[in-house]
Amino acid sequence: MQSSARTGGTTRSLIRHCGIALFFLVAAFVPTLLLQRLFPYPFLFLFFGAVMASAWFGGKAAGLLAVVLSTVLVDYFFVPPFYSFSISTTAEAYFAAFVASALVASWISSAKKKSEEALKDALDQLEVRVSERTAELMKTQTELAHLSQVLSMGELTASIAHEINQPLTAVVTHGHACSEWLSANPPNLEKAQQTVQRIIQDGTRAGAVLARIRSLFKKEAPAKDWLDINEVIHELTTFLRDDAIRRRIAIRTDLVPGLPKVTADRVQLQQVVLNLMMNGMDAMAETSDRSKELLISARGDESELVVRVEDSGMGLDAEANEKIFDPFFTTKPHGIGMGLSISRSIIEAHEGRLWASPRPSGGAIFQFTLPVHPRDSNG
Amino acid sequence: MADARPTIFVVDDDASVRDAISNLLESVGLRAKVFDSTEAFWKAPRPSAPSCLVLDVRLPGVGGLEFQEQLAKANVSIPVIFITAHGDVPMTSRAMKAGAIEFLMKPFQKEDLLAAVRQGLDRDRIRRDEQAEIAVLQARVDQLTSREREVMDLVVTGLINKEIGAQLGLSEVTVKAHRSHVMQKMEASSLAELVRMSDKLKPRERR
Ligand SMILES: Nc1ncnc2c1ncn2[C@@H]1O[C@H](COP(=O)(O)OP(=O)(O)O)[C@@H](O)[C@H]1O
Ligand SMILES: [Mg+2]
Repeated sequence: MQSSARTGGTTRSLIRHCGIALFFLVAAFVPTLLLQRLFPYPFLFLFFGAVMASAWFGGKAAGLLAVVLSTVLVDYFFVPPFYSFSISTTAEAYFAAFVASALVASWISSAKKKSEEALKDALDQLEVRVSERTAELMKTQTELAHLSQVLSMGELTASIAHEINQPLTAVVTHGHACSEWLSANPPNLEKAQQTVQRIIQDGTRAGAVLARIRSLFKKEAPAKDWLDINEVIHELTTFLRDDAIRRRIAIRTDLVPGLPKVTADRVQLQQVVLNLMMNGMDAMAETSDRSKELLISARGDESELVVRVEDSGMGLDAEANEKIFDPFFTTKPHGIGMGLSISRSIIEAHEGRLWASPRPSGGAIFQFTLPVHPRDSNG
Repeated sequence: MADARPTIFVVDDDASVRDAISNLLESVGLRAKVFDSTEAFWKAPRPSAPSCLVLDVRLPGVGGLEFQEQLAKANVSIPVIFITAHGDVPMTSRAMKAGAIEFLMKPFQKEDLLAAVRQGLDRDRIRRDEQAEIAVLQARVDQLTSREREVMDLVVTGLINKEIGAQLGLSEVTVKAHRSHVMQKMEASSLAELVRMSDKLKPRERR
């Protein structure tokens, strides 16, 4: 706060202190001089006010300056004999009492001011801390909201199904109508033509719904977070633990400490790992002859990270192996078939690869890579 | 009765779906009237021609299933065909129990919709014919004197004139005269026909 090192600053603050002290002293002096005319004995209380005000606004130095100046002024003008610096013996005690009180007033005022400023500082700091924490909490909250968005795929499925089904219904129904108009005798070409226009409109609308869904999953520009993959995996295993326990699935992790960090969109990466984990868990729904185990491991070197999600579920047949990455390919009764397709596009947007392979002892392995950029290391 | 062409009402909140359905119905020569909500349909005038209602299950405001109940409560008997994007079994059975003609999944096939619509129109036509017939019979009954009505009630139970006379404290000749008035006013050519007429009227008379 007070810069004592720089001389320029010191000079300037000295001038400021003098200015403040002079200002209050003049403000006290003029009325006192006027009062002196009316009353025979000196009125000095205004000087206490000037001293306290100087100490308050100008600090200890200004306070002391005000004490010295008011001592001089009071001595000269208001202590008998008037208009001289000499002090009559009867006025000595009175004058000494004035000087002492002025000193005390200055000290109290500047101390009070100081403690008040300290309090204000503390409050300011507290406020900054609170707003920092609030921002952090809000960030976590939006992340969670996004995560739960991914989790409630079931509900999403219903609404997507509805949104696409409406234009689809219109297309099919118009198609039937069109064939009726054409097979009438004579064919009603005008109506058929109108109907075809409708079909084009509704088909386009269905396409727009899909585009909207896709953009919902894939944020426009992936945010570049600097993140530790182990942390992401750890968060998700914690997140899914209750669900896994309910489904009698053991989630294990095999992580190496100190893996290189990567720049990636945290939420998108969470989505990918979550999709793979949920798929693995789904795949083990029917498993009864072996233990249900989901293993997530991460390895890496200076060029790339490899994350694997393995399950002991029903596995993949060779034919399905590539189809599973197609949009809307699903073998689940309430599946949506977008999980792997979205995951793959997310990983590819991060310049990585995502693929599936059978697990030798039964089940499936899904793994993806993420490049490690050396220039990242100074981020 | 000026407009006797059958009408199919279509309620769906999705404009393209309702247009498509009305286009299909029109292409096979049926007339459709579309609405975007059950409220709009409820407010619209319903013609006296045979009609049925193609109703979406999921609608903003009063939904399809709820509306079906509302119609029943208000004694509006229009055959209902449900269309839905996500029919689950309990929903379907609830609708069918409440008398729906069909429960079609979107997208549906032309044959299924048209068959359901035709069935709905037939059912409505039969109901309307019956109602009209009852109205005619009721008008005839209203012309009978109270004595004649008493005689008619006993005639249709199969009693002979003598027994009727004994029950009502009348002579056989008087009963015979009342009886022929009843046959005349009811425009019945035989006892069997009179019995049938009285059967049709019965549920009404009880009220
Ligand atoms: N771990 C796995 N084991 C076996 N099959 C899987 C696994 N993960 C995905 N699949 C297959 O891939 C399909 C598509 O998966 P996905 O794109 O996530 O959509 P959804 O989970 O909605 O079906 C699944 O329906 C399933 O047949
Ligand atoms: Mg999935």
